[in-house]
Amino acid sequence: MTTDGSSPAHDPAGSVDPVDPVELAVGDVPVAPELAGLAELPVGQQAPPAGGPVPDAAEDPRWYQRAVFYEVFIRGFFDGNDDGTGDLSGLIAKLDYLQWLGVDCLWLLPFFPSPLRDGGYDISDYFSVHPEYGTVDELRKLLDEAHARGIRVIADLVINHTSDQHPWFLESRQSRDNPKADWYVWNDDDQRWPEARVVFVDVERSNWAYDAQRDQYYWHRFYGHQPDLNYDNPEVVEAMLGVVRFWLDLGLDGFRLDAVPFLYQRDGTAGENLPETHAFIRTVRSVLDAEYPGRILLAEANGWPADVADYFGDGDECHLCFHFPLMPRLFMAVRREQRYPVTEILAQTPDIPDGAQWAIFLRNHDELTLEMVSDEERDYLFSEYASDPRMKRHMGIGRRLAPLLDRDRRLAELLWSLLLSLPGSPVLYYGDEIMMGDNVYLGDRDSVRTPMQWTPDRNAGFSRADFAQLYLPPLMDPVYGFTAVNVEAQQRNPSSFLHWVRRMLGVRRQFPVFGTGEIEILACSNPAVLGFVRYDDRAVANPMLCVHNLSRFAQPAELHLGRWAGRQPVEVLGRVPFPPVGTDPYPVTMASHGTEWFELVEPATALTAEAGPAAELGEAPR
Amino acid sequence: MSVPRGSGAGPALDLGALAELVAASVSHRRAAAGDELAKVASEDVVVADAEVVRPGRPGLVSVTANVDALRVHVVLGLRAPGDEVRFLTDADDAPLGIIEDETGLAVVFDALGDAELADLLLDEVAGDQGPIEWVHRIAETSESVSLAYDDRLAFTVFQQLPAPGERHSGLELYLGLDDAGFNQLLAPVALWQRRGTDLGVVQEYQPGTTTGWVLALASLRDLAESGAAPEEAGADFAAEANRLGTMTARMHLALDTAFGRRTGDVSTWTDAVEASARAADPAIVEDASVQALLAELRRTTRPCVAIRTHGDFHLGRVARTDLGWLVLDCSPGGVPAGEGTAPTFRSPLADVADMLWSLHRAAEVAAAERDPTGEAGLRHLTQAWEVRNRRAYLAGYLATPGIGGLVPSGRDLVRTLAAAFELERSAIHAAARA
Repeated sequence: MTTDGSSPAHDPAGSVDPVDPVELAVGDVPVAPELAGLAELPVGQQAPPAGGPVPDAAEDPRWYQRAVFYEVFIRGFFDGNDDGTGDLSGLIAKLDYLQWLGVDCLWLLPFFPSPLRDGGYDISDYFSVHPEYGTVDELRKLLDEAHARGIRVIADLVINHTSDQHPWFLESRQSRDNPKADWYVWNDDDQRWPEARVVFVDVERSNWAYDAQRDQYYWHRFYGHQPDLNYDNPEVVEAMLGVVRFWLDLGLDGFRLDAVPFLYQRDGTAGENLPETHAFIRTVRSVLDAEYPGRILLAEANGWPADVADYFGDGDECHLCFHFPLMPRLFMAVRREQRYPVTEILAQTPDIPDGAQWAIFLRNHDELTLEMVSDEERDYLFSEYASDPRMKRHMGIGRRLAPLLDRDRRLAELLWSLLLSLPGSPVLYYGDEIMMGDNVYLGDRDSVRTPMQWTPDRNAGFSRADFAQLYLPPLMDPVYGFTAVNVEAQQRNPSSFLHWVRRMLGVRRQFPVFGTGEIEILACSNPAVLGFVRYDDRAVANPMLCVHNLSRFAQPAELHLGRWAGRQPVEVLGRVPFPPVGTDPYPVTMASHGTEWFELVEPATALTAEAGPAAELGEAPR
Repeated sequence: MSVPRGSGAGPALDLGALAELVAASVSHRRAAAGDELAKVASEDVVVADAEVVRPGRPGLVSVTANVDALRVHVVLGLRAPGDEVRFLTDADDAPLGIIEDETGLAVVFDALGDAELADLLLDEVAGDQGPIEWVHRIAETSESVSLAYDDRLAFTVFQQLPAPGERHSGLELYLGLDDAGFNQLLAPVALWQRRGTDLGVVQEYQPGTTTGWVLALASLRDLAESGAAPEEAGADFAAEANRLGTMTARMHLALDTAFGRRTGDVSTWTDAVEASARAADPAIVEDASVQALLAELRRTTRPCVAIRTHGDFHLGRVARTDLGWLVLDCSPGGVPAGEGTAPTFRSPLADVADMLWSLHRAAEVAAAERDPTGEAGLRHLTQAWEVRNRRAYLAGYLATPGIGGLVPSGRDLVRTLAAAFELERSAIHAAARA
């Protein structure tokens, strides 16, 4: 028996090697012929199943609104050539796993040639692949193999600046009149644009750095070794569009645009979010729409949702923007055991244009930043950090999800349930699906970039190189070490966190309203209970009711579900029908840190829903 | 003798019949509150005035009457015999009686227990509010009944009225705050008055609010469970206490705008504090620290600002919504008694002291409930919780721009005056317990 929620019809073909006995069991479960049809959802609710090849853009132009993204640190994922460093061939070898897990799109951290003084965000060649990771041909193969499995791939693109080792900069600094002289932002003194803040204020004193060769200063919003490109120069704009076309021609499905707000400088401004920057993004978007429909732009602009939403434009700039303030508030809500931090930030989140989508996440490759609160004197979050040293200690530095939660499985499920049901496309971080740990002794950024833990074997199954050759040591402690926490063991254990994640991704895929629907926060006098309905009035899809208990204690709640009176909640994992919603507040009892998702069906269809596939396959109690 | 008619062109109604219906209604009400013995006979009812709010069937008649020493208000619903009624509570399904008017014979119900009549009453008082899907009865006290309409409007109908010529003091405070631009309350939509008497108020409604008291006890619950210091314990309340302090200050600034300020006399306040303390327990006043406190205040020559204070301002009088804090006054179910108490002008620190005392009470209640014998050593944690949240509350209050104009200048006077008011509050509490 299995706890796997998907029916055989939905099970992707590929399983990992060696063949997983659990997977075999799924296929072995006999399904009564009269139940076979019940695996299908009512028309209109059927999402494209994971597993088939990526459909072309015309068929599914808004795939990104329903997609689950998976952030891959190539260096740390899998070593395909035994040199101790993860690479593209290694990633290709693990695509079956990612397909099995059920993610829709990979987000690759920078893979370009780079001196690696800033994790690859200092690019020295836009048209090639860092030799440690492989070749352009291997990247093309990765794209083909991923697409064949129904997985899309986007990549980080750093457009604000290059490495100071980039040939463009090397040429530009040669003289004041060479062909690239005007490709970067030069000035005779370091006094211009004093309004622009220094982003890395702890390591950089000024946004200007002196170059003796030109006897001039160049502008850099980040590190001194990352000179900013001059987007006032049409040649630079054309060159960057060339970069965009090169990778899209290769088959890449889009870009995450790094450090987007800083592209231009203007006198008397802070040099952020300028109209010229938006105009440039519109130019890139128009190239995508005209020449590469279905490809996407994801903006990294750390700020308040109301400001960041500008990067959606009128639906003519980025397809997705990261919603930065939501993440720390999710942690805060769980820590404070009340929903207000979440409801408050959602209230501050503006409507976005049709076709736009937020990207939301729990953790990623960076430490948690508090940049976005700097100007908000009364900001709730900031006072939280100031008043709670533990949060400050834990979240001001880079930690993975599991250690942040003291490895509490119920808390992890609670947070993931929120991530997967709140508005936005979830972005997962590699390793978090097995509750991997971190190594704080490696320093902030490397601490969450240790090798993916595949097996309990040597080097965590990540590499067959000598241990000493590994780019970073895998975790080996008794709690988070690879003998205790690894993909293989969790794949074999149907009640593992990995299987739970996979099952929830399957449920999310069944109900596209999670990707495209609106949210209605439900009034409830118990502050520990966060209930909301995801609904889409334009579609025939049923609304989804999601209820979360943020308290460590069992909690009762009465949800004001008035708008949905007459509907019947059907719990999605077991297809268990609950009493219909009336006009009185709907009572629920929630287990400690419990989460429940319900489909709100019309009563006529509730009976059909009752005998859904998961129930028939022997759903184990959670 | 006939009843003066209201806006509707209704018929004359027999006063004796009305008295019977009022008696039945008040008896019903008291029985529902568990007071079976307090039945009212029609002879004890003196109808003061009545208005046909809606003529015909279903019809609405609002009646004010004196019952014993109380001034009561009843809204009667007149239905044609055989009409189908959807009752809002189980207790209200019996008709109050029958009455005859020019339309004919009517079966009379409590209008606030009848969904259709409640809907019609809203339209009469607040104008057409669009289609209403359903009505809930959300709160009921001896003073008022509150109904919610589609979770978006609340209508509180006063059942006990202040003496003729007096405003409902809670409502006056609430409307003053609203007029002064204070927005941390449920906004008024319509006021129901007749000849200067406040009969009810329609407000925007927000379901799913939680009182500060419940929230504070939840924080203390998690504190007890974790055993860690309050700032480490998880459901820390300090950020909320800080915001509560800010809201209190904003409320005081609005009260200053709405009702003006006077010059306060510290020695008068001190006398009142001493009298309260003495009434509760003469030993309190003999305590050396209390003596010192009172003496220090009596030496104060600095004038203090007095504003209209909220009065009895505690954690149960504020509510957390999904977006922030509200002052609950005149919220459904939260209407303070009219009781004819004159509006009090005191230092705003009196309200601050009330809230500090409430934080203290929350900590006490949590410790008593979870560690009644004291063996578990919970009290030192709840005390730390109290200290932390008092500080956070005061910090939020005193950091609010403009509040410096309302509180006495000088830390010492702020401290002693707040301490004295808190002493008064604790004495009132102790007296009530005794």
